[in-house]
Amino acid sequence: MFTAVTAVSVIFFFFVLSFHRFWATCDLAGKNLVLVSLLWTYLGWLKRRTIEISRSWSSKKLLAADGLFKRLPLWRASPFEKWLFLLFYLSFLYLAASGFFFGLFIRRGLYGYPLLLHVTSGGIFASCLTVVVIIKARDYIEMPKPLVLDISLFDPRRLGISALRAQYASFWIFVVAGFLLIMSSLLPMMPFLRYSGQKLMFEIHRYAALVSVLAAAMFIDLECFLMEKGEAK
Amino acid sequence: MKSRKTSLAATFLAVALAAAIFYFLSAPGASQDVKKDEKENEIIHPWDGAKKTPVHLLQLRDENGQLIIPTESYPFPYSSRHTCEPCHNYDTISKGFHFNAPVSENDGRPGEPWFLTDPKTGTVLPLSYREWAGCIKPEEIGLTAWNMTILFGRNMPGGGTAEPTPEMEAPDPEARWNVSGKAEINCLACHNASPRQDHGEWAKQVARENLRWASTASSGIGQVGGMASRLHPTWNIYDGPNRDDQEWAVAPQVKYNPAEFDSRHRYYFEVTHKPHDSNCLACHSATPVGQALNESEPDIHRASGLQCADCHRNDLGHDMTRGYEGEAAEKGMKNLEGFTCRGCHLGEDAEGNRTVTPGRQGAPYPTHAGIPLVHFRRLSCTVCHSGPVLKEGFGRVRTSAANRLGIYGLASWATDEPVIFEPVYAENGRGKIAPHRLVWPSFWGRLAGDKLEHLKPEEVMAAAGDVLKSEEHIAGILMALSSASAEGEIPVLISGDHMFQLNVDGGLEGRPYVADKKAPWFWAVLMEGAVSPFVPDFDPDSLERDPEIEARIFNALTALSSSSGGRRPVFLVKSTVYRLTDGYLETVARPEDAGGLNGFYWSGEKSFEPLATEFDVGTVTAKAGTGKTLTEEQVSLVLQNLKRASENQGQAGDFVFVAGGWMFSLNQHGKLVAEKHRAAEPVMWPLAHDVRPAQQSLGWNGCSDCHSVDSGLFFSTLEGQGPLLTRKKEKRSSVEFMGASGIYKRFFGLTFLVRPILKIVLTFCGLTIAALFLFAGFQALGRISGLNDRR
Repeated sequence: MFTAVTAVSVIFFFFVLSFHRFWATCDLAGKNLVLVSLLWTYLGWLKRRTIEISRSWSSKKLLAADGLFKRLPLWRASPFEKWLFLLFYLSFLYLAASGFFFGLFIRRGLYGYPLLLHVTSGGIFASCLTVVVIIKARDYIEMPKPLVLDISLFDPRRLGISALRAQYASFWIFVVAGFLLIMSSLLPMMPFLRYSGQKLMFEIHRYAALVSVLAAAMFIDLECFLMEKGEAK
Repeated sequence: MKSRKTSLAATFLAVALAAAIFYFLSAPGASQDVKKDEKENEIIHPWDGAKKTPVHLLQLRDENGQLIIPTESYPFPYSSRHTCEPCHNYDTISKGFHFNAPVSENDGRPGEPWFLTDPKTGTVLPLSYREWAGCIKPEEIGLTAWNMTILFGRNMPGGGTAEPTPEMEAPDPEARWNVSGKAEINCLACHNASPRQDHGEWAKQVARENLRWASTASSGIGQVGGMASRLHPTWNIYDGPNRDDQEWAVAPQVKYNPAEFDSRHRYYFEVTHKPHDSNCLACHSATPVGQALNESEPDIHRASGLQCADCHRNDLGHDMTRGYEGEAAEKGMKNLEGFTCRGCHLGEDAEGNRTVTPGRQGAPYPTHAGIPLVHFRRLSCTVCHSGPVLKEGFGRVRTSAANRLGIYGLASWATDEPVIFEPVYAENGRGKIAPHRLVWPSFWGRLAGDKLEHLKPEEVMAAAGDVLKSEEHIAGILMALSSASAEGEIPVLISGDHMFQLNVDGGLEGRPYVADKKAPWFWAVLMEGAVSPFVPDFDPDSLERDPEIEARIFNALTALSSSSGGRRPVFLVKSTVYRLTDGYLETVARPEDAGGLNGFYWSGEKSFEPLATEFDVGTVTAKAGTGKTLTEEQVSLVLQNLKRASENQGQAGDFVFVAGGWMFSLNQHGKLVAEKHRAAEPVMWPLAHDVRPAQQSLGWNGCSDCHSVDSGLFFSTLEGQGPLLTRKKEKRSSVEFMGASGIYKRFFGLTFLVRPILKIVLTFCGLTIAALFLFAGFQALGRISGLNDRR
């Protein structure tokens, strides 16, 4: 079940994010496309992009990517912040890699030294996430206007959905998923939960991990997108 | 013309063949076979729904189906096949788990094998007809159905091996089925509710080869006397009592108590549909070695009022529900999911899906508070709940079937061998750790390439000659001396720091004795705790010889002569030799080359030899107090003898002795060497009972019950156990049996020291994030509602 959900979610997110790129980069203004032709146009774009990326997969491009890597705001941060984010990213990377690899491909699940490292990384991740939320949450919040009951509430064009706001949302989704990951690790170690509670926590941990990975992917994709547009924070 | 004739003949033959086929197909025999098959599967009296056991007031029938009249002379024993069959289909029952081992198609999870034990040759060989890992098929070492029945029939409920088909009988011309009869399925072994049901009596009757009488005797329906084992092989039950011998070779016969029969010769069977636990436990008990009866705790299920058969159920086919995870899938019976620990208590099938209705018989739903889910995925329930608590190392346990428990009489039936250890935590074949019982096999074998042939103890004894008879030799001498001893005197052999004397079974028993270890061994007598020479000091040259001393010498020499094997015993003292000549005590002068010998000796052609050889005395002295039955020297000599005997028969192959986790063999220089071999691996089978109450489960006191740097569960060490006195010992820790890394488990145990810190960190992080999130949420809510702006 979890494997299927993971596969479907990843594929779905891939198409959502790529469609966002397609929508944002292709000039479709003024074109009155019906859904089917929009789909075909998107698929054609996706095919072209895939070929382009595969052909341009050279050392030069890698260097270019390296340039992008060097331009990351992380390197401009203070030493404390730099180490904080490095630990945060690395721990999350290991948690995601070990958790999903063992969860999806190893029948027994996570065990042995990878498990010990997973638990250790979990502690580091939780600590870093807490600090990140404290020092960065303010950058990813936009206070809503006072609510006025109006028919325009139901007009999606008036909701003001933008890449930036989607990134904000992904940040907070990541935080919530992180919180669930922390609690679903902590509570099974406490003498509170019964067998069914333990099972529930295990499921919460898995799905929260999936959500956090998807949220992170969305956040990074939008960060790159906004960097390209020069709108990144 | 010729071809036309051929064609006509062919047509005729074809018609004749067709007619013959039609005849055979329509013959009564064929239709009877079909009917017989139908009958086999027919439930003669299906259950009508009444939840009571019917009164079983039945006429007893013998193995020929004839009515038994209890008052007639020499009545036959009752036959369960013919007495019970009219209502309960015998053939259907005979396919049940307790009877189908030789022909079973689904052997299921490994169970306890039979152990062929022979202390003399140091053999402990796990046997099973079932395909269970580590077990040897009886036929592989030439054990026939007859051998298996006589060896292990004491714990068989009849049927199966004890009632073999003609095909199973064929390989053994020495089988005595004709004399003993066959042990039919002993329905009463399980279903008898009478307190007279006596498992010990069954075992004794089997040992006496009274197989067809065993059920009658053990159930208390009749008294059985006589021993089929002492009868001539041509005797059969129709010969009746043995008129030639009324004392020794007495034919088995039954005496029924006519008062227990009604006027229509009906006997009241006090039976129950659901067997009483005591009947199950007659063969399925397991008790830690050294545990006193008043320290013994019952299985928590029994303590709660459940019986074995409440969970281990069966229908007429007697295919017992064994209750392990995976049994349902193996048998294709979904309902069996409800009879596992997990099914009954958690309502889950083997895959962890909640497809079962839990709570049968009031089974409580366990809380398992604070136990992470991985424990339920990696461990069977029995790890924490069953068997003894692993405190300091592995414990030894004795079981009914292996150690002959529960058979009472003048002689002690219970044995120490085989040595069984528990709980050994190992993978159970389904990816889960489960507690197991373990036995290190030991046996002699012939290694031909990769193939290992196991040798029967008789083959080893035959080839070993006197090498394995040290105890026997010394016991023989002590036996002879005891017949020449005065009342209250016990002849002993003093050697090293041990004193050896005869035990009640005529065997040799050693006990510690404070003596000069370097002093030579000697024969003596023990009287009222004091040791003195067998013959007191005296001067043979004295004019007044003590007649009592000479009588003692005479008696001893006479007794030794009778067990001398053709050798002549003499008694040497000072310059005199006492010997028997034509039944009279004679003295002659000591030969000059006799040196300073004193005491009893065998008179050789040219010299005097001690009553026991240095090898025999050295061997028993070396083994005394160690619990071992073989020395390395003995093993080397037997391996040499086996090779020599084999070469004399023109057969090649290297001989080996497997014990304690090692395989011993002789290298090219004739030296005993040990190496690893898969045949030396221990045999293990999962244990399920006794189940402990929740408060005595592992984990009740927290994680450190198991997870610590010196955890008994992970780091207890088990030493290879075998009959050989050797320094070569196999040692394995628990984690090795689990297939895990010891370093990792210690490191993992260490993490529990810092786990409280992790919990604090996670709690702080979780609360902080939750607080921030709530704060932001409240802020947003205040903003949406406009309350913040009004402030």
